[in-house]
Amino acid sequence: MIQLHNVFLSYQKEVTALHGINLHVPRGEFVFLTGPSGAGKSTLLRLLYAALSPTRGQVVIDGQNVTRMTRSQIPYLRRSIGVVFQDFKLLPNRTVLENVAITLEVLGWSKQDINKKVFHILKQMGLEHKINATPLRLSGGEQQRVALARALVNDPKILLADEPTGNLDEENKDLILNIFRDANIRGTTVVVATHDRRLIEHSHKRVVTLEKGKIVEGPDVTQ
Amino acid sequence: MSRNKQAKRPKLANEGFTGRLRFFVGRALLNIRQNAFVNIVTIGTITLAILIISLFMLVFVNLEGVANDWSKRVQVTAYFEQELAPEELATLKSRVLAIPGTDRVTYVSKEEAFKRFRERLKGQELLLEGITTDVLPSSVEISLKSASRNSDAVAVYVDRLKKVPGVTEVQHGEEWVRRYTTFMNFLRLAGLLLGSFLVLAVIFIVSNTIKLTIYSRKEELEILSLVGATRFFIKAPFLIEGILQGASGAGLALIILTGCYYAFLHNAGNFLSFNPAAAGLAFLPPVYSVGLFVSGVLLGFIGSATSLKRFVSV
Ligand SMILES: Nc1ncnc2c1ncn2[C@@H]1O[C@H](COP(=O)(O)OP(=O)(O)OP(=O)(O)O)[C@@H](O)[C@H]1O
Ligand SMILES: [Mg+2]
Repeated sequence: MIQLHNVFLSYQKEVTALHGINLHVPRGEFVFLTGPSGAGKSTLLRLLYAALSPTRGQVVIDGQNVTRMTRSQIPYLRRSIGVVFQDFKLLPNRTVLENVAITLEVLGWSKQDINKKVFHILKQMGLEHKINATPLRLSGGEQQRVALARALVNDPKILLADEPTGNLDEENKDLILNIFRDANIRGTTVVVATHDRRLIEHSHKRVVTLEKGKIVEGPDVTQ
Repeated sequence: MSRNKQAKRPKLANEGFTGRLRFFVGRALLNIRQNAFVNIVTIGTITLAILIISLFMLVFVNLEGVANDWSKRVQVTAYFEQELAPEELATLKSRVLAIPGTDRVTYVSKEEAFKRFRERLKGQELLLEGITTDVLPSSVEISLKSASRNSDAVAVYVDRLKKVPGVTEVQHGEEWVRRYTTFMNFLRLAGLLLGSFLVLAVIFIVSNTIKLTIYSRKEELEILSLVGATRFFIKAPFLIEGILQGASGAGLALIILTGCYYAFLHNAGNFLSFNPAAAGLAFLPPVYSVGLFVSGVLLGFIGSATSLKRFVSV
């Protein structure tokens, strides 16, 4: 589902965030991406949803070479990928409903279908009573779940989550982990970048560790 | 991915051209409501911009109107030695009319010329004692089309007129035409320069305002792009918003201009004694108003389009 071949990425000439990454995530897998701050976790995820293109190497998603995509093809790639950003990226002047609905509006769904589907997913997230609230009136955990709802509302093939349990208590972490598991069971390939060792140990999933832009642990290490 | 089956294909709301247009216009209106302040600022800027330009045009149009009135004094007179028989006069008239630039030809007989002369000497009729109407030659007075009312064209015209058989002498207010031509050239040049500076300033101010307002919403643009919106989908509501802002700004400016005009400008002409012939200042011709409205719409549209280019990369 996700393949990286010898990927290098430099932001500026001197700063090389990724050094020759080789990674293969098969369809339906659940992978944790971990490593110290600045190791390149967010950078790697950005490559996957084509917010960055590699300086060198190939990125292949669902059989399509992202590196060779034209600008107008990228939106269609992104429609099959749900992303939860490290900083959520929720619109503060829109309601929870409107924030989640964006994913479906882009696809041209009718208002009626959108409302039904959004309500359904917010119920799954335990947020149906906050549907008309604006994000700034929500707790961190609730905001996290709204971001997750937006990423999952269209049943994406791939879910990418960057530090999804940042400031959450144990209860909220479990809640989020369960949502990931459910999505994974329904067939979504899940990649979660996190520092949280406890979360990783708790879940018994495959772990890929990055350090200074290189993979140092995991089945894909090639030395 | 067979397990991850997509629920039945949802009904698409914005299919077909009108469906899409309805969706995007709705989106634009929603955006305007949710970003009311920013929209008021933009519309206000466009209103002021169009108002400044339209006031400038109003002044220019009236100056040109005054100048045009003056130019009616550009007249060429052709004299002939002997009185012409009616049929001779007719051929002469048609020959003169055939010269490009001729607007109207008026015959002034000896009697008519004498009458005018006497009127001019009112109170001193004694001077005319013993003078017969024969003294003054008959003539035709020719007024020129406005395009020919300048030094060069008049010179060319006079040359052609002199070649018409029967014409013995041609007179035109040479000095006056020269001054008038210089003044008109100056007026046009000044108008063009001032107008261009104004238009540039206005474009600069409006496009920067729009850029700032779009910048304030770059988060939204980014999120739309990240959830897989096409460039068209992201831009369309903003462009429609730009068009609506431009239309309301320009509309408002024209309403204010009309209001000001009828409140105190329409009879200011007398006060300024600009144009004693016409009663007061003229309003902008309809073409200009339509042009200003269209410019406002274009200003909003192009301002949004160029600003979006900077913020919508994918
Ligand atoms: N936009 C950017 N411009 C320049 N350098 C960047 C940019 N984003 C990240 N970097 C650099 O790239 C390297 C990897 O950053 P990245 O954000 O991928 O780390 P991370 O593993 O996600 O860290 P964290 O766990 O703190 O989120 C860092 O050295 C960082 O300084
Ligand atoms: Mg990060």
